[in-house]
Amino acid sequence: MSHPSVLISAYLDGELNRDEVGRLLDHLAACGQCAAELEATQHVRTAVRSLPMMELPGGVVSEADPVVVPLLRNRGFLVGAAAATAAVVIAVAALLTPAPTSVTVSDLNSRFGARVSLDPAFGPAKVVVPEIVQVGG
Amino acid sequence: MRKLVALTVGLVMIPASAMASDLEELLERGHEASYSAEQIITCSNPDGIADAVLRLSQSGGDLHVAAPVSSDVEITTGYGGWVLSQAGSVVSSTELDSSEDPADPRYTVDDGTPAAFLGRRATQFEMRDGDTLRARLIFDNETGALLKALTFVGDGEVYCERRFIAFNPTPPTIEMVEVDNDNRLWRSDVETELPEDLAWFSRLDVYSDEDGFAFGYYSDGFFSFAIFETPSVVALDEASQFQIDHGVYRVSYSPGQVIYVWETLSGGLAMIGDLPPDMHEAVLTGLPAPERRGWLGNVWKSLFG
Repeated sequence: MSHPSVLISAYLDGELNRDEVGRLLDHLAACGQCAAELEATQHVRTAVRSLPMMELPGGVVSEADPVVVPLLRNRGFLVGAAAATAAVVIAVAALLTPAPTSVTVSDLNSRFGARVSLDPAFGPAKVVVPEIVQVGG
Repeated sequence: MRKLVALTVGLVMIPASAMASDLEELLERGHEASYSAEQIITCSNPDGIADAVLRLSQSGGDLHVAAPVSSDVEITTGYGGWVLSQAGSVVSSTELDSSEDPADPRYTVDDGTPAAFLGRRATQFEMRDGDTLRARLIFDNETGALLKALTFVGDGEVYCERRFIAFNPTPPTIEMVEVDNDNRLWRSDVETELPEDLAWFSRLDVYSDEDGFAFGYYSDGFFSFAIFETPSVVALDEASQFQIDHGVYRVSYSPGQVIYVWETLSGGLAMIGDLPPDMHEAVLTGLPAPERRGWLGNVWKSLFG
C-alpha cells in the first residue's frame, strides 16, 4: 500500500467502511510517515473547528453553498408573513376604530342660533329656521 | 336645571324716537322691541325658492318662534340661548356664555324715508356697501320693530324677503323654557386654525365644548356666519354641489340661511350663515380647500391622531 493520503482524510471524515479502516490502520502501524500525516491533519482540523463563527456579509449567501439557498426562501416567507400580519392589524384597527363623533345639521343650527341671538342685528332679519319648520324649498 | 330663558314681560312700551340713521342704533332698537307677529320668509336661492311662515313673539331681547304649519315645533332664543322643542319636549339646546364686541358695521344707512306698512307708520332705510344696495329695512315708528327686511345680492336682485303679514304691538308673555342643559359652550381661547378675518368679515369669537367641537363666529356688522371645525363631515340631506376653483362643496339652502360642508385632511368644515350667494365664494376661498383624507388616512388619524 502506497501512502494513502486520501484515505487518511476519508478516515477522519468517517467515510471508510470497516475493511478499509482495517487496512488503513495496518498501514499506519507500519508507516511512520502516514501516522505523522494523520496526526498533523487531525491538529489542523481541530484548530479550524475552534475558530469563532462569523456571519456572512449580505449578498454572499446567493453565491454560497446551495444548501443555504432554502434560507432565502424562508426569508421571503417571513417578509410575506410580516406584511400579511401588518395588513391584518390595520384591518382589525379599522374595524375596531370608533366612528368619529357625529355632528348633525341640528347641532350647527343650535349653535349658530344661539350665537346669532347675541348679535346686535338679531331679530326678525336673522331668525334661524330649522329644517323642520320649512314649508317649501 | 337651568332656566335658559326666563322672561317677565315689561309693560313699558319703548317710546318712538326720532329717525335714526345709524345702522347699529336701528338694529338695537329693533332688538328691544316687544310685539307679536307672523312673518313670511321667501328667499331666492341658486337651487330655487325657499320659504317659511313663522309666528314670532319678541320681548326684552328674547324671541319665541313657532311655525304655524307645524305648530308643535317651537324655538325660544335670546341672549346666547337656543332651545328647539317639539310637542313640548326639548329636541336640542345650546347656551353660550358671552360674546365679544360687535363688528364695526361695513354698511351705511340713509336718513330714511316715511313709509306705511300693515297700516302703521314706519320708516324705510336703505343699507349700502358703497354704492351697492344690500338691504332695505322698514322699521315700525312706534315700537322700533323691524317689520320688513329685503336683502340683495350684489347685482341688485332680491335675495331674501322677510316681512310681517300680521303685527300686534302688545308686549307678549314668553313662557319660560327649562332645560337640563349639558350643551353649554364657552368662549374659548384654544388655538384654532380659523382665520381672524375672512374676506371682509371679522371673527368675533370662538367657542368650543368638551369634545373639541369648535366654531368661530364672523360678522360684517349685518350679515354673519359661523365656521365649524367638525370631527367628520356633516351629513347634509338633499344637498347640491357647489364648485369653484378652490374645490367642490356640498351646499344646502333653507329660508334665509345656507349651509356648506366639506372634508379636509383634519376632519370636516361647515359654514352656516345668512350671506347672500354672491358673498359665498369670497368666504370659502379663505378656508382650507376640500380634500379627501381616504380610508387609510381615517385609520391613521384614528390610531395616531
